[in-house]
Amino acid sequence: MGALQKYYKQSATYKIFSGILTHCADFLDTLGKISIKGMQLLKAVLTAKIDKKELIEQCERFGVSSLPITLSIVGMTSVIVSSQVANEMVKQGGGHLVGLLMTMLIVREVGAIMSGFAIISMIGSSLASELATMRVTEQIDAVKVLKVNPVEYLFVPRVLSGILMMPLVVILASVVGVLTGAVATALTTDLSFRAYFDSAWLGVYMKDLSVSLLKAVAFGGTIALISCTCGYYASGGAKGVGIATTKAVVWSFVAIVIWDMIFALAFFF
Amino acid sequence: MSIEVKNLVKTFGEHRVIDDVSFKVNDSETLAIVGFSGSGKSTILKLICGLLKQDSGEIITSEGDIAMVFQYSALFDSLNVADNISFALRERRDLRKKYDEKELKNIVAQKLELVGLKGIETKFPSELSGGMQKRVSFARAIVTEPNSILYDEPTSGLDPISSTLIEDYIVRLKEETKAASIVVTHQMSTITRTADRVIMLYDGKIVFEGTPDEMLKQDNDYTKQFVTASLEGPMQMIA
Repeated sequence: MGALQKYYKQSATYKIFSGILTHCADFLDTLGKISIKGMQLLKAVLTAKIDKKELIEQCERFGVSSLPITLSIVGMTSVIVSSQVANEMVKQGGGHLVGLLMTMLIVREVGAIMSGFAIISMIGSSLASELATMRVTEQIDAVKVLKVNPVEYLFVPRVLSGILMMPLVVILASVVGVLTGAVATALTTDLSFRAYFDSAWLGVYMKDLSVSLLKAVAFGGTIALISCTCGYYASGGAKGVGIATTKAVVWSFVAIVIWDMIFALAFFF
Repeated sequence: MSIEVKNLVKTFGEHRVIDDVSFKVNDSETLAIVGFSGSGKSTILKLICGLLKQDSGEIITSEGDIAMVFQYSALFDSLNVADNISFALRERRDLRKKYDEKELKNIVAQKLELVGLKGIETKFPSELSGGMQKRVSFARAIVTEPNSILYDEPTSGLDPISSTLIEDYIVRLKEETKAASIVVTHQMSTITRTADRVIMLYDGKIVFEGTPDEMLKQDNDYTKQFVTASLEGPMQMIA
C-alpha cells in the first residue's frame, strides 16, 4: 500500500491535481485575507483617529513620487495610439474626429488603467515589500505587542492615500495624455492643433469624467489594500518578501482589470 | 502572581512544539528558559504576549502590559529613536491623548538614560550598533511601564562585553520596574547573571526546573549535557 501510494504521489496526474488544488487554496486564502482586512479597514476608518502626518506622508508617496513615471507612461501610450490611429483616420476622411476619439479613449480608459498599472509597479510593489520586510523583521509583531492596532497604523493611511491621490493622478495623466496625443497627431498628420482640440472638447462628457474619477478611487483603494495585505501576511525571509511583492503586483493587476470590466459593463454597455 | 502558564500545548502542523508545559513567574523574579534551538522557547514567549494562540492550556497574567524585547530588536527602521520609544504612547488608542509633546520628550529622555543612551533621540536604528539597538528596544519595551517583560535571546549575536552590559540592564530593569521577567537564552552568562530560576525545555517538555546554581551542579542529565555542550546525552539534535 505504502509503495503504491509513493508511486502515485510521484505520478504526473497527482502532481498536476495537487498543484491545482494548492493554487486554488492559495487563491481562496488570499481572497479571504483581503476581504477581512478590507472590513477591518472600514471599521478602523470609521472609528479610529487618523494620523494626519502619516496620511500626508503616504499621499506624497502615492501621488507625488509616482507622477513622473505615471505621466510618462500615459503620455507615451497616447503617442503610440494617436500615431497609429490619427494617420488612418485622416486618410479615411475622419480627421475632424481624431481629437474626439483620443479624448474619449484617454478619459474613459487609458488615463485610469495605465495610471493604475504604473501605480501598481511603483507604489503597490513598494507598499507590499515595505510591510513584508516589517513582517519578517518582527516589526509588525512589535506593533502588536505594543498594543497598537496594525490596521489603524499601517493600512488606514496607506489605503486612504490611495483613495485620495489616485483621482488626482488620473486627472493629470489624462490631461497629459490628451496633450501628447495632440502633439503626436500634429507631427504625424496634416491635422492642426486647433482641429484636434475643436473635436477634443466634443469628446469630454460629464459622465465619462465622473466614471473615470470613480474608477480612480476604486483602483487606488484596491491597489493599496491588496499590496498592504500581501505584505502584511508575508512569511519567511528575503524570499518571503519577494513572494509577497509578486503576489501584490499580480493580484492588483488582475483586480483593476476586473474593476475596469465592471465599470465598462455598468456604465457603457 | 504575574505570569502563570498551565498545561500549555502548541502544535505546528503535526509537530507538538509545546507539550503540556506549566510554570509560574512572580513579580520581581526572572525566569530563564533554556534549551536547544527549535525547542519551543520563543514560541512560549509569543504565546504569552498573544502573538500566537495556544491549542490548549491557560496563560494567566496580572493586569497591565506585557512588554517584549525581540531577538533582533525589531525597531521601526523608518522612525528615529525618540519616535520608536514613544511609539506606544503616540499610537495606542488608550494612551495617545495622555501626554503632550513636552511630556513625551521627557519620558523618552528618561528611558534612554535608564538604558545608558543619553542624547541619541534623533538617530535612526540603522545608525546604531547591535548592542545600542537592543538597549533602545529595552527602552521602548518599558515605556508603558509593563508588569511583565519578555526577552527573546537578548544577548545573542553580541560581543561578551555588550552581553554583560545587556545582562546588567536586565537586572536593573527588574529592580526598577519590579516586573516579572522571562529571558529566553542559550548563553550561560545570561542565565547565571540574570535568572533567579531556570527551566529547560526539550522536545516541548520541561526537563529541568531549578536555580542557576542547581543547573550548574549538573545532577540532571539534560543540564549536564547543556552545560558541558556535549554531543553525548539524552538530547539529540536533529541533523
